[in-house]
Amino acid sequence: MATDAASNVAIAERPPDTEERAEPRRLVRAVLGNRKAVVGAVILLVMVFVAVFPGLIAPHDPQATVGPPNASPSSAYLLGTTQLGQDVLSQLIWSTRLTLWVTLVVSVIATFISMIIGVTAAYIGGVTDRVLTVLIDVFLIIPVLPLLILLSAYLAPGTTSLIIVLTITSWAFQARQLRSQGLSVRNRDFLVAARARGERPMYIILVEIVPTMTSLLAASFLALAVFEVGFAASLQFLGLGNASQLMWGTMLYNAQQAAALESGNAWWALAPGLAVALMGAGFALVNYAFDEIGNPALRPVRRRRRGRPST
Amino acid sequence: MADPLLEVTDLSIEYLTDRADVHAVDRVSFTVDPGEFLGIVGESGCGKSTLLFGAAQLLSPPGAVAGGTVIFRGHDMVRINRNELQHMRWRDYSVVMQSAMNALNPMKSIGAQFKDTLQAHGTASRAEIEQRSAEVLSLVGIDAAHLDSYPHQLSGGMRQRAMIAMALLFTPQLVMMDEPTSALDVVAQRSLMSKIKDLQRSLGFAVIFVTHDMSVVSRYSDRVIVMYAGQIAEAAPTDAIFERPQHPYTRGLMDAFPSIRGPRRTLAGIPGSPPDLARPPSGCRFHPRCPDVMPQCVSRAPELYNVGDASVRCLLYAEPAKEAV
Amino acid sequence: MATPANPHDRSRANGEPLIRTVDLTRHFRLGGMFSKQVLHAVDDFNIAVDEREIVALVGESGSGKSTVARLLARIYRPTGGEIYYRGRPLRSLRSRKDVLAYRGEVAIVLQDPFSAFNPVHRVSHGVMRNIALHRSDLSRAERHTEAERVFDSVGLSPKMLNRFPYEMSGGERQRVGFAQALAVRPNLILADEPVSMLDVSIRAGVLNMMGNLRDEEGVSLLYITHDLASARYVADRIVVMYAGHLVEEGPTETVLSDPKHPYTQLLLSAVADPRDKEEDISADTGEPPRVINPSEGCRFRWRCPCAIEKCAQITPHLKPIGPTLVACHVATGDTAAVPDPAGTAPVTNR
Repeated sequence: MATDAASNVAIAERPPDTEERAEPRRLVRAVLGNRKAVVGAVILLVMVFVAVFPGLIAPHDPQATVGPPNASPSSAYLLGTTQLGQDVLSQLIWSTRLTLWVTLVVSVIATFISMIIGVTAAYIGGVTDRVLTVLIDVFLIIPVLPLLILLSAYLAPGTTSLIIVLTITSWAFQARQLRSQGLSVRNRDFLVAARARGERPMYIILVEIVPTMTSLLAASFLALAVFEVGFAASLQFLGLGNASQLMWGTMLYNAQQAAALESGNAWWALAPGLAVALMGAGFALVNYAFDEIGNPALRPVRRRRRGRPST
Repeated sequence: MADPLLEVTDLSIEYLTDRADVHAVDRVSFTVDPGEFLGIVGESGCGKSTLLFGAAQLLSPPGAVAGGTVIFRGHDMVRINRNELQHMRWRDYSVVMQSAMNALNPMKSIGAQFKDTLQAHGTASRAEIEQRSAEVLSLVGIDAAHLDSYPHQLSGGMRQRAMIAMALLFTPQLVMMDEPTSALDVVAQRSLMSKIKDLQRSLGFAVIFVTHDMSVVSRYSDRVIVMYAGQIAEAAPTDAIFERPQHPYTRGLMDAFPSIRGPRRTLAGIPGSPPDLARPPSGCRFHPRCPDVMPQCVSRAPELYNVGDASVRCLLYAEPAKEAV
Repeated sequence: MATPANPHDRSRANGEPLIRTVDLTRHFRLGGMFSKQVLHAVDDFNIAVDEREIVALVGESGSGKSTVARLLARIYRPTGGEIYYRGRPLRSLRSRKDVLAYRGEVAIVLQDPFSAFNPVHRVSHGVMRNIALHRSDLSRAERHTEAERVFDSVGLSPKMLNRFPYEMSGGERQRVGFAQALAVRPNLILADEPVSMLDVSIRAGVLNMMGNLRDEEGVSLLYITHDLASARYVADRIVVMYAGHLVEEGPTETVLSDPKHPYTQLLLSAVADPRDKEEDISADTGEPPRVINPSEGCRFRWRCPCAIEKCAQITPHLKPIGPTLVACHVATGDTAAVPDPAGTAPVTNR
């Protein structure tokens, strides 16, 4: 790296690196200061509460037949009943847990895989980079549906298979972006310094690079979560899940099988769809705050209104 | 005796950030006469670049002028409306930035950028544009063939010269420069300064030259303003500043330069570091680092006092009769 | 690869210098895999640093001085030539243990105090990691004491160990950089433009600290800079680089009071004292070139006021003039015309 004469400038008027701190305190403050993020956080918190304490809210046992089949919404059954006379609202509430669980697990694992592969490719470079990039591209290109149909022939339908399938098909999504980010920090002086003192590459990746990317990783995770919620539901809707498990996607599947929209209780089909959209929106809204942390140019300019002597 | 070209009076500039209000420039006053070369010198955080941007009406949020006036040729620059400002910009005054690579558009050739500037401020015909572009390039010592070159094809020194050429397109009366030579190596720096001074003498424009490197202005400026923590610490003719520095900060700065030719001696430097402008020290802003600090310096903020032909913000020279107007 | 006798040999009365290079070369390929453009950052570079000595490596941008530092710190591998540390070639360092041992003796301090620290870690991180890697024999308590000691020796309060980089000023961070280097107990510190990005009033403190390190800790320093004045202030010897080549070296006062190479003379004339009001003696407007696929000959010839025909044909080697070594045909009086430039030319540097 030849010396750049531009670096001879004594950095005039340069403020300390307040932008780069990845302190949790700063993240929380950023989220709270952003109206969209607060809305999203509230939505998610409510969903977490519902997922943890479904019994407190749901009026009925979701699997039990409690009323007349395909009933329209009424005061007894706020969203009506299913073909089997089960309370749609209770099913909706109880399904939150598994839906949220699957979404989170897949997002965490996929983000982790894409981070390891992306950053390693960027940092190690050379042949490793080329091999890993090809790997990423292969997984990006694989047509998902045929793969799923293939896999579903071999995997027993259920949550685990769903998680496996979703992870395999969505980790590559963010890997490219994380690789780019890794490339951009690769030659930062503090990494050169770490190399110069003799650190091993894996150490540098895990201890020196990844911690600087927490905002990006959080944003990655949230973006992935938005995607997974809908994707999981879609797969189940297509019949690739286990219809007897309580998830919003399986509710959609069952409702579709019973032709609920045409001849039965339309809310049986609509409610889970709306719930999926709502959870996705929650993640997406919280993600706005992380966008702004990562890119200061997006931050709203805060101006204080004060009495001024002129202007 | 002509009227001053630029009169800055009690100019204050603030940055409103979420954490605190930073008083980057605090009641700075100075004038620039036609054809004068004024150097504004200071270290990081002293506010010199902010001052220049404020005077040139280039501040953007969160920075804003919080008080004072900037009168250029009779116009109040702070309150002027956009159309008048646009008319004056580049015709009457122009600005040269610190790094040409940041200021020049990498996607357009030099000639195309000159054309944009010329057209933005009035010149119409193609022949006029070509002629003027070639003229200014030759003024700064660049072959006119480079009108077709892109910025990345030119060396650092040539890019800076192209910036200066662009600033001279309308032969303004005032050219403001923010560290135009800092990104260059020492030989290129010297030759560019020399060229700037030549041009100034032949075309007669005034220059405000902001820099952190005192040696760069020592040969070329008529007057020097030394800034510290958003205020003027000392203002004087160049000779006076270098031969008879009055303010302890200026003295400290002069002593901090290792000499290339004189006898070797231990350098002292100035202990400590510049203050946080969100919470400047009480009294004299330099008192925590001052070797000549007196008890009253902690509580009493000095004004600018006349000492010979210099103005010095230091209580060492404070007597009622000497207070600068 | 025949090399002329190392010009440094004669000055080493007491054996091997601490570190020396023999025809050190580093090239970078520009562009993609199929590009033929090769940037010659450093060519045939011979330098030596003794114990308890500060050597200033002076040059403008593109001179290759930072590349030399990174080569000595084993951040880059040489394209050619060799580095001898205490007589042992670096090429012979194969195992991780050997390489780590070398890194424990030669440490680098980087230029930019604003990016040399990982913003998510406290400033103690680098120091503690250095101690963990290179002084693993110390117990936990001893390590902490050592960290405090090195902070103290660079003039920082041990309380600052727990600060984050953004909480410290540029000058303080640069001192931390030196503390990190000292934590391994090196014999040689490679300081890459350590004061260039600091305010003038703070530079003196750091420069003084460097002198103390040599005097009190017995550490040698290779001080890389573009600033002749600060080189004069701290260095015992000065080495001048231009476009990847070493052009002049010698004791500080000698080189600065009576420079022999035209480039050194040009550099000196361009450096101003704030109090100096003499007129310039040179009208050179040029800037150092990027050396891509160069031909034979002196790389300064296009800007040199005294270039002769030979300068375009044969790359000058370092030859002694008094206590200095100069690579210039004209300065060393080596102006004899070359009899047959195409055929049997005298030994070149390949």
